[in-house]
Amino acid sequence: MSPQIRVRHRMNVVLQMVMAIIAAILLAQLWLFTVTLDAMENHAVSMNVAVAAVVCSLVACAAIWTLIRFFLRTEQTETGERL
Amino acid sequence: MKTPSHWKQDFPVPSAEDSYVTRREFTKFLGLTSLAFLIGTCATAGRKLVKRLMGSPSSSIAIAEIGEVPVGGYKLFRYPTKDDPCILLRLAEDRFVAFDQRCTHLSCPVFFNAAIKQLACPCHEGFFSIDDGRPLAGPPKRGLAQLSVTTQNARVWVHGPNEEAEGTA
Repeated sequence: MSPQIRVRHRMNVVLQMVMAIIAAILLAQLWLFTVTLDAMENHAVSMNVAVAAVVCSLVACAAIWTLIRFFLRTEQTETGERL
Repeated sequence: MKTPSHWKQDFPVPSAEDSYVTRREFTKFLGLTSLAFLIGTCATAGRKLVKRLMGSPSSSIAIAEIGEVPVGGYKLFRYPTKDDPCILLRLAEDRFVAFDQRCTHLSCPVFFNAAIKQLACPCHEGFFSIDDGRPLAGPPKRGLAQLSVTTQNARVWVHGPNEEAEGTA
């Protein structure tokens, strides 16, 4: 196996790990969205719940973009190419 | 060997690779999905905030004459906007309570069941206490939003959400 292919395989493994984390964060964001929808429809739910959901969603979004940047930068460093 | 046609030499992109999604594109798609969730969450929270600001009246309103509602009876009204159905209950001679009429499960309108002295949601058999709106049975997990009610000049007045009850519901 050539070093290039080995690097590609390694990057695929890293990609799968990153994807798993991103998928988990996306699911959490979906849940946060439903929480906010519930808060909007239901007067019994405090405004603080909606605000907290927005903050958490913001953090999740930032985390996802950071992970993506990390992955793409690592990939570029390892392979020396922009895929 | 057959020479590819002239236009194929100018555009050497195989059609099979035309729909190939690169890792970069895929991760960008995931990032944009996350952004879409964030925007949706912000928009929904913003709408709740707007509803709250638009619906928070600075003045109280009279919703019924005292004699209009018998003891053990009820009256439906809308507060703070015409899109917000509420229910006023007279529990005793001098005791009135009012709640948001929308069930906290799936927003079906609750009604007063005099036989069991509870507020009942007919959609999924949810029951609430008439004292403080707390859920007693069925799928609802949260209590009904209670409104602050007083009597003055032979009228029943509503003053907005009952903040004390909101914390306990």
